[in-house]
Amino acid sequence: MMAQRIATVKTHRTQTAWIRQRGQAVAAYAILIVVVALSMYPLFVMVLNSFKTDSEINWNPAGLPEEWTLASYAAIFEYHGGMWVNFLNSVIIATISTVLAVLLASMAAFAFAKYEFRGRNVIFALLLATMMVPFEITIPPLYIAFAKLGWLNTYQAMIVPTLASAFGLFLIRQYMFSIPSALLEAAHIDGANHWQLYWQIMVPTAAPILGAFAILHFLGVWNSYLWPLVVATERAIQPIMVVLPTLRDPVIGFLPVWGTIMAGSVLATLPIVVVFIVFQDRFMASVVVGAIKE
Amino acid sequence: MKAGNVVSLPGQRAVVVRRRIRWGDTLAPYLFIAPFVIAWLTLFLGPALYSLVLSFYRFKGYGTATFVGWSNYSSTVQYHVFWTMLQNTVFYWLAHVIPLLVFAFLLALLVRSDLVKGKRFWKPVIFLPNVIAVVASALVFQSLFGTQYGVINTIFGTEVPWLQDTTLTRYIVVLLLVWRGVGWWFVIFLAGLTSISPEVEEAALVDGASPWQQLLYVTLPLMRNTFLFAFVIDAIGSFRLFTEPNVLVSRGGIAPDAVAPLLNLLLGNLRDARFGQASAVGWLLFVIVVAVTFVQFRVFRETTEEAE
Repeated sequence: MMAQRIATVKTHRTQTAWIRQRGQAVAAYAILIVVVALSMYPLFVMVLNSFKTDSEINWNPAGLPEEWTLASYAAIFEYHGGMWVNFLNSVIIATISTVLAVLLASMAAFAFAKYEFRGRNVIFALLLATMMVPFEITIPPLYIAFAKLGWLNTYQAMIVPTLASAFGLFLIRQYMFSIPSALLEAAHIDGANHWQLYWQIMVPTAAPILGAFAILHFLGVWNSYLWPLVVATERAIQPIMVVLPTLRDPVIGFLPVWGTIMAGSVLATLPIVVVFIVFQDRFMASVVVGAIKE
Repeated sequence: MKAGNVVSLPGQRAVVVRRRIRWGDTLAPYLFIAPFVIAWLTLFLGPALYSLVLSFYRFKGYGTATFVGWSNYSSTVQYHVFWTMLQNTVFYWLAHVIPLLVFAFLLALLVRSDLVKGKRFWKPVIFLPNVIAVVASALVFQSLFGTQYGVINTIFGTEVPWLQDTTLTRYIVVLLLVWRGVGWWFVIFLAGLTSISPEVEEAALVDGASPWQQLLYVTLPLMRNTFLFAFVIDAIGSFRLFTEPNVLVSRGGIAPDAVAPLLNLLLGNLRDARFGQASAVGWLLFVIVVAVTFVQFRVFRETTEEAE
């Protein structure tokens, strides 16, 4: 009798607990779905409106296109001076910058992590100390210098200032510290020279962190807006980010052409999305890795 | 030390690889750091120092520069637009940082909890707004919040001047910053939370703590460094804000002063070829960033001491 009552109480209790937990789970999913819907909606607007005609966007900016069209994408390639050139500029600038920045930072990181040399700590401390100084401070002198060199409206003006990343150096050095030096010693005894130690051992072993830094750096350069706005005033050399906000109706000058702008936005986002889809986990890991080192 | 090439591990004695002394061995590390250091000296440290010097001169880009003492700084500080832009920047920072980090943290708690399954699905989906190019996302928000043909006004049948009214516009900028940033910090918080060992948190529950107490006294203190990092990095980024307000508000150019961030003053001076003045704005920005970071470290240290 007593045992039976205890048993019923127990099942009753587990039942309410089960119901409560179930309720919490439903609430949790509801919150997540709302959050995701809100965060995805602007993305939908961007993609959907890129498939509408400019006039349809005016009366139907929020919904599905009634008439799907590729006119806006065609417009990117045709009028507005052929915006694929600007897209290509962005690709060239971000790619060259990333390759060189990773190379420079990883070479220096290798030396700082695995060699002892006079001045090592002083130089490294100096590099770190200036990480707080915002890049924007260098804009006036760099502008003057590049103007004197005749570098305004060139690729190098947009690439060169991004090459020495103290952040990347720090990130990669931390990782290289954790690579056992025994690897290097073995290769060294086998007769590998310094460059081979770097290129054949350190670079492959440190590939995860190099990839993480490459993603963050590419993202930064791809998104950069202020500096290109300063040094690239000619349409043909501007990256896509500078051109996108300026697109106007060729006939009625002041009206933004939303179809073309949205199609351009999709295009400007595409390379990052591709990298994100291919390297999903590493992409998000790079965000974390960039944050871990206090 | 000079016996050969020295290969070392942190916290361990240097392991000397015995080899004949070669000139190249001492030179090697310098050759490895040379490209980076030269690029850094010529493109960062050099220009930064030159900019400091320039901030005390009047220079129009040609002819001679005249020394003017602190006048670039004093005239900047006396210029009312400087204060408008500083106010805007501080507003953008303070109005977005709390919702941004709280929201990101709560989402991370939620996705980590046992209530939710499919973490491999939620994580990338919540991160996704970050993948959109900054300029593109600002333009999308511009079309969302247009007055006449805007998406939001069309859905609700209203005609709210979101991007014409200065006060409203500032909140739209904040909304954009939160919308874009949540996924980024969510991923970082999630990693921080996942690195907490479950035993520590379970021990609190076993000792009779409520889930709320567990969060307050166990989880949050363990996340302290991550929060400090998030506040500091986000503040630095906030004072360097440029792209979002300018692309969101303007029609293809530069945002009006009433909603512009501090960097617009640097750009404005640059375009008027007032290079000394532009440099002074840059250094004022740096001083503000350092002060804000310093205060944040102090506040964090004090609140932890109180907690302990």
